[in-house]
Amino acid sequence: MKPFRLHEPTTVQEAASALADAGGGAALYAGGTELLLAMKSGLLAYDTLINVKSIPGLDSVSADGDGVVIGASATHSAVEHDPLVRERLPLLSEVEHGVANLRVRNVGTLAGNLCFAEPHSDPATLLLVYEAELDIAGPSGARRIAAGDLQTGSYETSLGPDELLTAVRVPVFPAGVRAAYSKFGYHHRPTLGIAAALAVEDGVVADARLALGCVSPVARRLSRSEDVLRGERVDALAEGASVLREAARLASEDADAVEDMHGGVDYKEHLVRVFLERTVLRALARNGGGDV
Amino acid sequence: MTTREFKTVGTQVRRLDADEKLSGRAQFTGDLEVPGMAFCKLVTSPLPHARITRLDASRARALPGVYAVLTAAELVNMETHYGSDKKDRPVVAIDKVRFQGEPVAAVAAVDLATAEAAVELVEVEYEELPTVTGIDEALDPAGEPVHESNVCHEYSIGWGDVDAAFRECDHVFEDTFEFPMVYHYAMEPHTCIASYEPDRIRLWTSAQHPFLVQAEIARLFGRQLDQVQVVVPFVGGGYGSKSYTKIEPLVTALSREAGRPVRLALSVDEAMRTVRRHAARGTIRTGVMNDGTIVARDCVGYVDTGGYTDNGVRVTERFGDRMPGPYAMPNLRVKTYGLFTNSTPAGSYRSIGGPQAIWVCESQIDMIAHALGMDPFEFRVKNLVREGEEVRRGRRPIEGDLEYALRRVADEFGWDGWTPEPTPPGVKRGIGFACGVTNSGASPTSTSLVRFHADGSATVYIGSAEMGQGSRSVMAQIAAEELRIPYEKVRVVASDTSAVPWDRSTGSSRSTTLMGLAVHDAAIDIRQQLLDLAAEHFEAFPEEIEAEDGRASFKGESVAFAALVRNLFGGSGGELMGRGYVTPKHPSGKLRQDPVFWEVSIGAAEVEVDTATGEVRLLRYYSISDPGKAINPKQVEGQDEGAAMQAIGHTLFEEMLYEDGQLLNPNLVDYRVPVFTDLPDEFETVLIESGNGPGPYGAKGVGEGGIVCVAPAVANAVFNATGVRISTLPLTPERVWRALHEAGQASG
Amino acid sequence: MSEAQSLVEMTFELNGAPVAATVEPQTPLIDLLRERFGLTGTKRSCDVQVCGACTVLLDGAPVSSCTVPAFEARGREVLTVEGFAAGEDASPLIEAFVNNAAFQCGFCTPGMLLAAKSLLDADPAPSEETIKDYMRGNVCRCTGYKKIVEAVHEAAEASR
Repeated sequence: MKPFRLHEPTTVQEAASALADAGGGAALYAGGTELLLAMKSGLLAYDTLINVKSIPGLDSVSADGDGVVIGASATHSAVEHDPLVRERLPLLSEVEHGVANLRVRNVGTLAGNLCFAEPHSDPATLLLVYEAELDIAGPSGARRIAAGDLQTGSYETSLGPDELLTAVRVPVFPAGVRAAYSKFGYHHRPTLGIAAALAVEDGVVADARLALGCVSPVARRLSRSEDVLRGERVDALAEGASVLREAARLASEDADAVEDMHGGVDYKEHLVRVFLERTVLRALARNGGGDV
Repeated sequence: MTTREFKTVGTQVRRLDADEKLSGRAQFTGDLEVPGMAFCKLVTSPLPHARITRLDASRARALPGVYAVLTAAELVNMETHYGSDKKDRPVVAIDKVRFQGEPVAAVAAVDLATAEAAVELVEVEYEELPTVTGIDEALDPAGEPVHESNVCHEYSIGWGDVDAAFRECDHVFEDTFEFPMVYHYAMEPHTCIASYEPDRIRLWTSAQHPFLVQAEIARLFGRQLDQVQVVVPFVGGGYGSKSYTKIEPLVTALSREAGRPVRLALSVDEAMRTVRRHAARGTIRTGVMNDGTIVARDCVGYVDTGGYTDNGVRVTERFGDRMPGPYAMPNLRVKTYGLFTNSTPAGSYRSIGGPQAIWVCESQIDMIAHALGMDPFEFRVKNLVREGEEVRRGRRPIEGDLEYALRRVADEFGWDGWTPEPTPPGVKRGIGFACGVTNSGASPTSTSLVRFHADGSATVYIGSAEMGQGSRSVMAQIAAEELRIPYEKVRVVASDTSAVPWDRSTGSSRSTTLMGLAVHDAAIDIRQQLLDLAAEHFEAFPEEIEAEDGRASFKGESVAFAALVRNLFGGSGGELMGRGYVTPKHPSGKLRQDPVFWEVSIGAAEVEVDTATGEVRLLRYYSISDPGKAINPKQVEGQDEGAAMQAIGHTLFEEMLYEDGQLLNPNLVDYRVPVFTDLPDEFETVLIESGNGPGPYGAKGVGEGGIVCVAPAVANAVFNATGVRISTLPLTPERVWRALHEAGQASG
Repeated sequence: MSEAQSLVEMTFELNGAPVAATVEPQTPLIDLLRERFGLTGTKRSCDVQVCGACTVLLDGAPVSSCTVPAFEARGREVLTVEGFAAGEDASPLIEAFVNNAAFQCGFCTPGMLLAAKSLLDADPAPSEETIKDYMRGNVCRCTGYKKIVEAVHEAAEASR
């Protein structure tokens, strides 16, 4: 790996200024689990890494109303095992447990995972159905965006060159939501991820949030599929109502699947159909309330 | 003596390397420091097939801290090419590159960072040539040949009149199967330290065959054998990837240029461009009678040996030898070809040509049984070659009862009367079987030396490399047994060509059988000397002396072996030496025929197929291992389980993917190997001890059998579950789904 | 405002003893351990955090030393296989690995032992499923895993 210098800011503003001053020659470093691999292989090179972990308090996980705020340097393992996350966001804890392997989870951060924008991210997909928000800081101040507005492409985000993600705000699901996450694949990284969160009132799907990831560069909500599920009876869906097939079909149409080592477009579209149905049914089968 | 009970053989002793390996003290080549050592980085070709039009290393040489850069221009006053059967591999590329990642130059520098920087400064220009990818392009006469021709080797065997048999039989089946390129992933990538000195050459290297490396280096650099020392520390996994000579010539040549020792430790990426398993295609025509009797097989096979021969000659031959299967047939014709392509050279990998051959053989056997309406297990049993019959004409007869072995596995697996557990809609279960025999042992040539010390302990000298198989412990067990001393009194010195006597190689399941026999004989040589000394001591005949537990006894009196040795030398010191020579003329008479032994492989699998996704889960796998005599039973199981798990990899997901000569997945993120969660719910080795091997106590080798049958057993189980036959590995979800989809059997 | 540094001076606890080191930021932890401290039990294999041969425990948690920068050890506790094996609580795992033939070539073994130790610290009575799930990030190419699962199981029982 090419030598780099280490900058250890103590405030978010200092980190943002350092990014700005470097003019593209610096990158933020938290867990480094993706970044350092890319640097070791020579795909990326930076003169300076800015260690966000030196900013006090940025690794905190804390309550925010009913939701949880996850600081930018909280690791996957910290999120997975955090009591507040387990209580309020059990599905996030479950999905974090499935990320990569234990050693990566012990070092890699949730925020870093989102910012690196590698297309096969489980949390990036899941956070779409949580309707999470992201706190962004830059020299000109702070802003907040929807989680879905971060990633713009494969390894590309909407962050400005001098901006950093400081926190992930995850609200709890509304009462009555049943949720599930499915991942599929045999490679080290998942081939497909689908998240479903369905609000059930009086045996009817009052609201549906569906998200799809990994099959294309950017995870997305499946709004057409959500629309057709709204108002449907849970028991009819569980018995295999044709509307579920329709939702699955629309999801595969909206997938924009790309061919790669994980499979051809038609196979991925087929998997989207299969796992949309399975994930919706798994979510609905979770009767106990809460999201798991 | 025949009724004496074993004291050490057959027990699970504490491995001699346990304490080192479980404390972090075990030293592998990359853990060694040689004073003054420089560090090497390779300049490799980004193109799979090209002429080198310009190579300028002057800027690299000028970089402070760079000791030397090796290019083709430096290959003077030495032989330039090496290889086990065909010496077609240049030490570094000369004029032309034949695969992506081929070394064109090598830098030696004060540290790795400097070497890496220097690599960037080596200027190479290429004229790109059309790329030959895969068997079809290798066979295309219009393509640009990789060497003078793309045919590396041709091989044929056969007997009878196959064409006449096909005319006269009731059915002829013809089917073609494909096996992918796979990578060993020995966890220690190839590592070598070479020190080229005026009067000698010393190497520390991760090699399975230290004496073949010694001979190759001596030839390349014009030295006598006694001037070349090859030391093999612990090897971090071999499986064939470190057989013969790999990076040693390059590192030695670079050391000559640098004037100091040089270390090269490959990355996984580089190791994947050093050696791999041969991809293969096999087509079998089989003639059968209505009653299920096989009358003829006609096998045509191709193996893809990549840019250079490496072990392509032998693999081409073994693929042919092994493809017809363990069946009796009056007519056989086999023709196999090894082909060059622009890809990583293919060498030995655990059972060379075996998994490829049995994949072809046993997939088709299953199809024929199905077509004839016979139980695939009974169809196999009906056609098995019987004990004592030749499975290949003119070779050693089958030494075991194959039918017994097959029935044991079937019984323990629960083949008869198997019914699937209830499964959700779209999920199907099935069972599959496969069997094979492989001609193993390489050549029956090993030697050993045992020294019996004046305190009653002993040191065993073997050429075998310790790469995990536990050979040092097994050799110590054999020596202790025959010396009649406790296992704890034996130590082993291994794989240093300046210290231990000659051995051919560590591979082909041969060490316990052949080196074991050499150690056995060397120990008996000493025991006989001890008995002679004891006879003198007791004034008795040697045959009247009992030897046990380090003592010789006669009529109620006993004397320590140690005392006999000391008495002989008239003082406190002295020692006895015993030797063991294993050659085809070994007095046991068991090594005259080829092969050294037939290794039996049997697999029974139960799978679950998700017909919506194509995912195959291996629920249960039963394998057999017949070590003749299990000298260390848990290590026997370990060999079998490890081999079967590697096979689960090439069965379900492992494949090196090439596109236009570029390797697409040269890392462990994209090249998926089996992990803990791939372990089947039941993963069993059925151990039988037939006692009929040519090794000590009837032992024979077991390192390879476990890898051979997994793929066909699983594919046959997938067929049993779904009715769909898949003829290409690996059985990835996408491939299985496509096959199901095409057959109208996919759900969802 | 802090300045970017090209050398990091640090102290940390290595296998129970306080040590000091000065490292370049890009130096991975494995290089510091192997080259500076001579702790060659930690092995480099895949170099991409998949195989686990380079596993060490950082404040008790397994990490891939091939990729984690050395400066991350600052002020923390690093345990390598050498330190683990010398410790008093190591013997149940080590003996279980011996008894069950849970190692062959030994290249994955240091990482495997540390992963197993960290599992047993977190869960002294893991189920077979838990063992497989916890250890799925440690590759062994020799044993086929079954005997390692059995060894971890036996060590858990022996420790109780």
